Amino acid sequence: MLQELKDTVKKILEEKKADIVIGWKKGTLPGIATPLFMEYPEDVGELIFDHTCRNNLTSYLTKDKRKLSKDHAKVGVIVKGCDARSVVLYAVENQVKRENVFIIGVHCEGMYEKKKLRAAAEGKEIFSVKSSGNIVTIKGRDLEKSVPEKEVLSDSCIYCRYPDAREYDVFIGEPRKEVDVPEEFSSVNEFEKKTAEERWEYITEEYSKCIRCYACRNVCPSCYCNECFVDQNNPQWIGKTPETTDSIIFHLIRNIHIAGRCVDCGSCVTACPVEIDLRIMNKKVEKEIRERFGYTAGLDINEKPAMATFCEHEKQDFIMS
Amino acid sequence: MSNWEPKILALLCNWCSYAGADLAGVSRMQYPPNVRVVRIPCSGRVDPLFIVKTLQSGYDGLFVSG
Amino acid sequence: MSLKSRSVMVVGAGIAGIQAALDLAEMGIKVHLVEESPSIGGRMPQLDKTFPTNDCSMCILAPKMSESVRHPNIKIYTTSIVDSVSGVPGNFKAVITEKAKYVNQEKCVSCGLCEEKCPVKIDDEFDMKLRKRGAISRYFLQSIPSEYTIDRRSCLYLNKGVCRICEKVCPAGAIDFDDKDKQYEINVGAVILSSGIDTFNPIHFGNFGYKRYPNVVTSLEFERMLSASGPLGGHVIRPGDHKEPKSLAFIQCVGSRDENINHNYCSSACCMFAIKEAIIAKEHIKDLQPSIFYMDIRAFGKDFDKYYEKSKSKYGVEYIKSKVSDISQDDEGNLILKYVFENGEIQYKKFDMVVLSIGLQPRNNITELAEKLNFNLNEFGFCRSDANTPLNTTSEGIYVCGAMNAPKDIPESVTTSSGAVAETLKFLRLERQDLTDKKGAVPEMDVSGDRPRIGAFVCHCGINIAGVVDVKAVAEHAGTQPNVEFSGNLIYACSQDCMNTIKEKIKEHNLNRIVVAACTPRTHEPLFRETISEAGLNPYLFEMANIRDQCSWAHMNEPELATAKSKDLISMGIAKARELKPLKRLPIPIDPRAMVIGGGLAGMTAAISLAEAGHEVYLVEKENELGGNLRNIFFNFEDDPQELLADTIDKLRKNRLIHIHMSTEIQKIDGYVGNFKSTLLKKGSDQPVIVEHGAVIIATGADEHESKEYLYGESSRIISQVELERMMKDKKFPGGRKPQNVVMIQCVGSREEGKMYCSRICCTKAVKNAGVLKKMLPNANIYIVYRDVRTYGFREKYYSELRGKGAMFVHYTPDNKPEVALVNDMDPDTQVNVTVFDPIVNRNIEIKADLLVLSTAVDAKKENLDLAKMLKVSLNTDGMFLEAHAKLRPVDFATDGVFLAGLAHGPKDCSESITQAKAAASRAMTFLNKKAVLAEGTICEVNESRCTACGYCEQICAYNAIEINKEKEVAKVNDALCKGCGACVASCRCGALDLRGFTNEQMFSAFESLDIINVMNE
Repeated sequence: MLQELKDTVKKILEEKKADIVIGWKKGTLPGIATPLFMEYPEDVGELIFDHTCRNNLTSYLTKDKRKLSKDHAKVGVIVKGCDARSVVLYAVENQVKRENVFIIGVHCEGMYEKKKLRAAAEGKEIFSVKSSGNIVTIKGRDLEKSVPEKEVLSDSCIYCRYPDAREYDVFIGEPRKEVDVPEEFSSVNEFEKKTAEERWEYITEEYSKCIRCYACRNVCPSCYCNECFVDQNNPQWIGKTPETTDSIIFHLIRNIHIAGRCVDCGSCVTACPVEIDLRIMNKKVEKEIRERFGYTAGLDINEKPAMATFCEHEKQDFIMS
Repeated sequence: MSNWEPKILALLCNWCSYAGADLAGVSRMQYPPNVRVVRIPCSGRVDPLFIVKTLQSGYDGLFVSG
Repeated sequence: MSLKSRSVMVVGAGIAGIQAALDLAEMGIKVHLVEESPSIGGRMPQLDKTFPTNDCSMCILAPKMSESVRHPNIKIYTTSIVDSVSGVPGNFKAVITEKAKYVNQEKCVSCGLCEEKCPVKIDDEFDMKLRKRGAISRYFLQSIPSEYTIDRRSCLYLNKGVCRICEKVCPAGAIDFDDKDKQYEINVGAVILSSGIDTFNPIHFGNFGYKRYPNVVTSLEFERMLSASGPLGGHVIRPGDHKEPKSLAFIQCVGSRDENINHNYCSSACCMFAIKEAIIAKEHIKDLQPSIFYMDIRAFGKDFDKYYEKSKSKYGVEYIKSKVSDISQDDEGNLILKYVFENGEIQYKKFDMVVLSIGLQPRNNITELAEKLNFNLNEFGFCRSDANTPLNTTSEGIYVCGAMNAPKDIPESVTTSSGAVAETLKFLRLERQDLTDKKGAVPEMDVSGDRPRIGAFVCHCGINIAGVVDVKAVAEHAGTQPNVEFSGNLIYACSQDCMNTIKEKIKEHNLNRIVVAACTPRTHEPLFRETISEAGLNPYLFEMANIRDQCSWAHMNEPELATAKSKDLISMGIAKARELKPLKRLPIPIDPRAMVIGGGLAGMTAAISLAEAGHEVYLVEKENELGGNLRNIFFNFEDDPQELLADTIDKLRKNRLIHIHMSTEIQKIDGYVGNFKSTLLKKGSDQPVIVEHGAVIIATGADEHESKEYLYGESSRIISQVELERMMKDKKFPGGRKPQNVVMIQCVGSREEGKMYCSRICCTKAVKNAGVLKKMLPNANIYIVYRDVRTYGFREKYYSELRGKGAMFVHYTPDNKPEVALVNDMDPDTQVNVTVFDPIVNRNIEIKADLLVLSTAVDAKKENLDLAKMLKVSLNTDGMFLEAHAKLRPVDFATDGVFLAGLAHGPKDCSESITQAKAAASRAMTFLNKKAVLAEGTICEVNESRCTACGYCEQICAYNAIEINKEKEVAKVNDALCKGCGACVASCRCGALDLRGFTNEQMFSAFESLDIINVMNE
């Protein structure tokens, strides 16, 4: 499959279907790939695609005030299912023109979450991560251990409904349109069973860990504001220090800002240095949006975003009348 | 704590609820004086951040009506 | 050349009169609005909700009421009647008598102390006698004007010379027993009559027990019971024992459709009124069972049938098609209804409460008014008007709107108001209005860059505030707030001398922000804004704290807490004021020309109205012939439709201000109110024409539905009503022989799943065509197979006439539709067998029909969608254009500058299309008669460096006021269209949007102004 991917990218660059293609290459640390920018056919040599290609590369389309899109007439990007949804989101939200992006879909079997790998390695330094079948073998300092793959797969991947791109220009292999994941919202369902006090306690505990490094925001493909509300001074929306209430507000507002826009790529979870459970609220909001508006972000380029439309038949149970 | 009274901020739409609050006064309907009203041009004006912001400011409850 | 004036008198200030006054005033015409009662508003304030949207009636009316009282071109005369009108159109002299109010309206502060202390307690007419009021009173809570008046019929002092208590308790010294009736003589160019209707008094119907049985009430009384601001506070109870009813019967047509009392007409609104009350009652009492006893459910208006269906499916309202003949009462006050079905079967049923759906009838004083103003009444005593001139009375220069000439619901009344306005214009001297302020405006001080210097004023409002709140303490507290340079008290802040004080203090302390703690900004903010601009401050540098309506009056028994709240409210006001910025209202130039899309009756009529008032019009018609659907109408009850068509085309062609573009399609419409640019392309040409105009009227019509049922197309004898009219005109029938048996099937393609609307015109059309046939072929048997006969209004008369002539009406239900079979399926002209269940004889009947006429639906045009996209307006689920507001803006769109008339809005007959076309023209002229309009001051703005052009705001804006500029990749606000609701601001993640006057910073400042956490810890 990798060879086919390399050949495809090579051809795309040769035929000038894209001026630049973004993919992954092996990172310096085991288990974590790093972005690769390919401008010439020979650049594909370093290209990889495996369980370590965690990063959602599409955010390069919008980061830095869309610099990449401005410098190149047509940008190619290799995408997993979640990444492809980000491109759709960008097209819906006027951030890219669909025709200016060449989407290369790859068959995704899920990505390893580095925090889970670290936990599996009992905190010891990891030298290599190898997978065969459903077994992952981790070698490290004073360590050689095999664990079932599920233990190290990212939650976003375990419960992923759309592992393959639905919107693409070329797909390597046979794309799955949708896979049935009955447990998709299992964490949310558990969370909802708690009392309001328990939920609040949980959220407070999680969000109070925040050191306000904004890594979650910076990697988030759906966060592309020129100036994030937390950085604005005029008006100052929230306090800028890691004071607990301000941190809670930061995360709650982020939850709302990506309501109907989160593609559950898991980038924020990976990026968070203090291991906040960032996924629970995002997933909760995703569930609400799906139940209320029948909308899932990034599936249909012609569908209007849930938070930008209003239909009379929508649930209005929050209104007392 | 027995004397504790909640402080509530109300964001009222100028065209309906704010008018309703006026009407309550005109009709001399009596209600607890715990609520502080901010007039807004439409309940659509209410940014989700207003909600957390007012709670952070110390209000115990927020009433958005429109 | 006839005489022309600059003013109009409008008689009657219900919603119809108010709308007429507002339209005229906006065109720059001076309006004298004369109202008999002490408040404007008419019937609408009595209503709790309005169908089919369940809007709060008062909530939608109140803005129009305040707008008319504030409008500089409208002079309101309440407790007033017209004595006489003399002279000629263009130069009438009218004499108005204003009855003494005995309360100085300038001094009265509407505090209500007088009524509280008034020893007289009489039945309140507004609340349908369900409540008592004093001899001094306010007509209703939200009255405009809000001041009190003394009812001279019941005042002790005026009748017996003793009492004068009100005079003693009035804190403002407003009582004036020396007040006299005043007479005004005015010159006007035209008169609009809008004095409305009365409701039928069922006391005459002894068998229903009204007034004998306490739990039998009228629909209007029930409406007051439902109203949250009504005498029962919205708690539905039986008047007899104050128990909550669990079963409720509505009896329809009480005083309507009744030849015995010369009410051989349908009151048009009562079916929907009952459905609405049943739904609202059910919302009040969850386990209530409402039942409606009816002859026909006449839910013929736009989106009415959906409401009717919802009442059944969602609210479980029960409908019983039968006639109630008698009501008796048991020992517990329950009511036993005796009712008769069509087949003669009699049944009895017990109900907790009965509502009589009383009909509408002419005002009791209409004869008197008709004599004074010299106009004729029709056979039912309504003001007379004719089908093709539905807004004219029989007296030239005097026009009619609202329900005065025929029963109407609210949107139709509003439409006739705007329509009547268009008719008056020929007697008026219109001038396009400038923006220039005629008063010597004080130049505005530049306060930008100055630190806030706030002046805070706390009003006593006599004892209204000061009686509860320690106003001195509040003023002192205000003085301790940052940036407050001056604080003080005023006895009546809105009195002239207090406003002078404010102006003086601005000068003395160099104040640049003003906060007044007094009553509500909804009524008084404009006044104070004007005051500070007279002192040279930008009017937007003003903020109010509402410490009366929302504090002293609401916490009368808790003075300390009310004082604390007042302090907080003024602190919040001051905090917001600190962040206020001066705002400008930008002028938007208006092009006086208009484009009318569609050359049918509505389009042509609208174009003529506009052109006759001096506006150039581009009329665009897709086809190569004018007239639209009117070309296919050959008969009417009282006139010749083809004559109407010929006259209209003639008027159109003769008017040199109208440019007719035939066979032309619209390719593109750019721009916004006052500044549209449209690209037109004539068929066969490749040279598009670009026209510029200030307004657009959509009058694109509708199509006749082509039936897919009842074997349509399989025999020349199965035809539509339109085809029948042509056959009758040509006197040529299929098979060359005169038909003997004619069957008409109603509701073909209407009122069904997926097309849940009534096509409104087909019942009347069937009755009309059957009548014509009966005249042509007196021996023919005519069967009309119907679901509900919806011959609303005076059309009822023709229905009963037709029944009298022997036409048979057979009722069917959609689950048991008539069946049609060809007699000989080899013969293209074959007769057809129609089988239908007849409930009267309780079995199927079979008719061998020579003609089967299908009353097919009115279908929305498919092209509507393209046009809607071009103009960024909406369609309803049936594909008809969706007006701005179902009730009060029936010909407007939410997008300014675009208007709607004719079948494009929904099914309607010629007379209604004419009215609506004139209304649309009138509404367009409220813009076109201005050289420019001012944009609002409190509108949105974009911080471009923050904007990412994500487009959420563009989709959220209900007024199409934001567009993404694709080149610059930023959102752009159209100042002309923005209504300042701020929905876009809340949707903007980037913080790029903000709403002037309610900026994020200003809101935060108000939210954070109070030290709540510390207050709590104390």
